[in-house]
Amino acid sequence: MSATVLIVDDEPDVARYLTMALRANGYTAVTADSVEHGLEEVHKARPDLICLDIMMPRQSGITMYTQLKNDKTLRSIPVIFISGVGHEDPWDFRSFVPDESIPPPELFLEKPIDAELFIESIEQLIASTRGREGGPNK
Amino acid sequence: MKTDARSADPRRLMDIVHAALFEEIPFNVAVIDRDYNIAAANSSFTDRFGDWRGKKCYEVYKKLHQPCDECPSAQVFETGKTIVADAVGIDQHGKPTHYVGHVAPLRLTEDGPVDYVLEMTRTVTGTRSWQQEYQILFDRVPCYITVIDKDYRIVRANEAFRHSFGDVLNRYCYEVYKRRKSKCPNCPAARTFRDNKVHNSNQVGTDRRGQDVHYQVTTSPLARSGDQVGHVIEISTDVTAVRKLERDVVEAERLAAVGQTVAGLAHSIKNILMGLEGGKYIVSLGLKKGDEEMVNEGWEMVERNFAKTTTLVKDFLSFSKGRLPQLQMVNPATLVNEIVDLYKDITAQSGITLRSEIAEHVRRAPLDPDGIHTCLTNLVSNAIDACQMGEQKGSEVVIRVREKGEKLVFEVADNGCGIDYEIKQKVFTTFFTTKGGEGTGLGLLTTRKIVQEHGGKIVLESEKGQGAHFRMEFPRKRLMTLWHEGHGKQSSQKKQVRS
Repeated sequence: MSATVLIVDDEPDVARYLTMALRANGYTAVTADSVEHGLEEVHKARPDLICLDIMMPRQSGITMYTQLKNDKTLRSIPVIFISGVGHEDPWDFRSFVPDESIPPPELFLEKPIDAELFIESIEQLIASTRGREGGPNK
Repeated sequence: MKTDARSADPRRLMDIVHAALFEEIPFNVAVIDRDYNIAAANSSFTDRFGDWRGKKCYEVYKKLHQPCDECPSAQVFETGKTIVADAVGIDQHGKPTHYVGHVAPLRLTEDGPVDYVLEMTRTVTGTRSWQQEYQILFDRVPCYITVIDKDYRIVRANEAFRHSFGDVLNRYCYEVYKRRKSKCPNCPAARTFRDNKVHNSNQVGTDRRGQDVHYQVTTSPLARSGDQVGHVIEISTDVTAVRKLERDVVEAERLAAVGQTVAGLAHSIKNILMGLEGGKYIVSLGLKKGDEEMVNEGWEMVERNFAKTTTLVKDFLSFSKGRLPQLQMVNPATLVNEIVDLYKDITAQSGITLRSEIAEHVRRAPLDPDGIHTCLTNLVSNAIDACQMGEQKGSEVVIRVREKGEKLVFEVADNGCGIDYEIKQKVFTTFFTTKGGEGTGLGLLTTRKIVQEHGGKIVLESEKGQGAHFRMEFPRKRLMTLWHEGHGKQSSQKKQVRS
């Protein structure tokens, strides 16, 4: 069974690019252009990993992330934050999520993302999650 | 003519009067001979200086053993003329005593030499101390004090003023303060001369080294009540250092904004690069698979993001156009009404109510009307978008203007979809847009830049789903600083042109 990755990004080009890269590497990609649709897809598609943009209309990726981590049934899904705000920029996870009970995301990828690096990161994260849970690999 | 039984002989009467005068007059009176012996003194003198009999005047007045260096009595003996003198002596209790009075010649024969001098002095120790205190206060108070007459000539100036502006007595105040040839327009002293009232004003002058001096001046009338004002006292506080600090704060905020702008620009470029990267990847994948449709899709993505680059560069150039606010004294309500006129049709078509709330007593303010127009346009346009994104009916956008303490406040509030806490953190600091691929994210950044250039700040209050409320606050003090600075610059530019 191929792993499913949910991409939540309001930028259609980004969603399309990551979808193509994932599909070319044997993954199932599901997309959502907002947090509301993203949460619907999480319940519908039960993804193995979520790629989450930060800045989106109405609700931000941080809000969705907080909701995921507060939900026992969804908490274990690894999340990659994808944003134009890089590590060197004044972006501090705790300034957005002061609640220490919510862990930081598994990975933060700074745009623009190299497709090869992206796929490698996905493979590693899914492998380690499945290894932890004793599930099958891709 | 019948004479009163108790009437005295006129000569006898004068003797009585003289004796009474000598004793009762509220002066210290002493008669001194040519050898400085005190020949007679009244009780007031005795009370002040103690027993004088058989003593020299310098022993009694000053507790000295030889005549004083500048003896007024000696001068009167020599010239035969009355003089006014003041001196400091020591009273019978050993305390310094300031006294001032007349020293007059006394002759035993009408044309003869001066045989005695009559010293009539009044103790002024209390008054003198007060005068000294006043003088110290006048000179040392950390502000400029000048007294000017009706011709605008400076008749008195304290030490602080003389230190900054040099020798100023009898010079025209406008010449000294501002190096002008004629009276300043809106002269606060002129207003005081006119209405006998206190006036305050902010001014920029030029000190003796040619440096600009910013000062706050208060003019007060110097006149007895009801009389015409003969002089005006000008008390000015030098606020040059404060103005510099205010400018430094504005400059620091400008620099911080530049830093955040650069970070924001990088963020925006990264998003476009991501689109270009995606297009390139899809083209490459299509070529590898021989899938023409995929190649076309990828190429379109490249073209789309290429176009975004062009838009971003244009917007950025417009944003970065360095320009100081072109301040004009405007009615803030007029600016709000212009925006309502501009957007009323668009909002009506979208079923959104647009209205203004203009508080009473909103005063005119030095603002850049184009700049504020841009700010309000950006905020109203965002508010309209937020209403269109929201799901509730009865959407409304309100533009308000009011005074809040010493601040002029513009507000744009909507009941649209609201803004998330995290987005609120970023709303003014990056080029982020929540309009998908449509916006460049520069609108709010530009707005903040303009507000900061006016010395103000922009605040966002919003709850998710509850609408957003943007507030632009302009401290009037800062606006006035910019306004005066602008005028100062204009006048110094004129000076350069003249030179």
